[in-house]
Amino acid sequence: MRRLKNRIALVTGGGQGIGRTIALAMAREGAALVIGDLNETNASAVKKEIEGLGGKASALHADISNEESVQAMVEATLREHGRVDILVNNAGIFPTNPVEEMAEEEWDRVIGTNLVGTFLCSKAVVPQLLAQRCGRIISLTSGRAFQGARNGAHYAASKAGIIGFSKSLALELAPHGITVNVICPGITDTAQPRGHQSEEQIYAQGRRIPLGRIGQPEDLAGPAVFLASDAARFITGQTILANGGGIMW
Amino acid sequence: MEAKVAVVNGGAGGIGRAVVRRLAGAGYTIFILDRNQQAGREILDQLREQGCQAEYRAIELTNATQIKNAFAEILSATGRIDLLVNLAGGTLHKHPIQEFPISEWREVVDVNLKATFLCCQAVCKPMRERKAGVIINTSSNFGITGGAGRTAYAASKAAVIAFTKSLALEMAPHGVRVNAIAPGLTATARVMSRYDETEWRELGQSIPMGRAAEPSEIAEGVAFLASEEAGYITGHTLHVNGGMVFN
Repeated sequence: MRRLKNRIALVTGGGQGIGRTIALAMAREGAALVIGDLNETNASAVKKEIEGLGGKASALHADISNEESVQAMVEATLREHGRVDILVNNAGIFPTNPVEEMAEEEWDRVIGTNLVGTFLCSKAVVPQLLAQRCGRIISLTSGRAFQGARNGAHYAASKAGIIGFSKSLALELAPHGITVNVICPGITDTAQPRGHQSEEQIYAQGRRIPLGRIGQPEDLAGPAVFLASDAARFITGQTILANGGGIMW
Repeated sequence: MEAKVAVVNGGAGGIGRAVVRRLAGAGYTIFILDRNQQAGREILDQLREQGCQAEYRAIELTNATQIKNAFAEILSATGRIDLLVNLAGGTLHKHPIQEFPISEWREVVDVNLKATFLCCQAVCKPMRERKAGVIINTSSNFGITGGAGRTAYAASKAAVIAFTKSLALEMAPHGVRVNAIAPGLTATARVMSRYDETEWRELGQSIPMGRAAEPSEIAEGVAFLASEEAGYITGHTLHVNGGMVFN
């Protein structure tokens, strides 16, 4: 039984890492995917991967921090499919700097991408979701939202902001049968932590995680598919922690 | 492949019946523990008619010896328990604190918290030995928000969350996941019997999604936490409440 049969799913940052894995998992469950990514080459590669599985996908260049780009992505999705059922707000950036040395431009870029981008993408799909009277918005946060990030105050703030935003949007959309939820990974085996940590440092963190290993992108795909499916239709405004017990909240 | 074994404590209750049906559908052999013998036999007959493997054991959940014996017997029959779902419990008594008899307060905490502890304790060793297993306890929206007249219930349900996190930390190195499900207002006969039709409708409308949960929707949350899809989730409380309380 394919749980997302005939659904249209839009995944931002779907060209790599967690976004790519969620997109593939949703495709396996029968959804047609739209992969939005700043890196169109990566997005196209994922589109081909999905097609290789016998699934349906399209790839788009999208900058979620830019309202026009977001509008164009959603319009292209609606032009192609006539609807959108699932939005996964996955795209995000994580530069590092202590607050003391943090340029305003960098602050604006992180908030503008991670938090404002989540707002812009959500806002852009809401009219269609309201018209359909169903839909799912799933956004990715981070353990940093709860515990802070040394040299990543903007990132932690943006990810905590996503939780507050999602709870509020959940309240706004609940009367219309649309759910809004958040998934919280721990450190995950993707390109992201490799920007500022060695391989050894990354895997060593698994020893401090109760389940004994760092996360794999697949660990987030199960919760994402569940939240997108009919089975989770009464779950809204929640933050699902899929982090090996690294943070319990 | 040998069927997985699920023990569902409170499996004959309103949510329990939906949970055992859902888990039986997922291929588990089901052991229902419940003090309500009539309801227990009814759900057992239904499951068997549908060709599911199921057993029922009558049990008083405040009785440590009965719990111990029931789990020992199940283990000797099956050799394994893959999943424990602790659903038994409830508000039971609702009084302002100045009128809350200590005996009733204790009863609420025993049924909701101590029974959960005892059942978890009974499966920890066999799960640790097999280096596999999933435990799902039941909290409530009241465990987060509290509720007037529900000092005992809210305290016990908040305690289930902290207990679940602690046990998750203890069991994680052994490959056992421990999580909680937190239903909000749920349309079971027991809960609905406390309200007249107008009250029930208004209560539903006060929830962001405009209605109470169906027991089957809680069962889906349990099935998810039990599944491999939740393989990296432990110590977590999953709220299924239509947006009435956020974690």
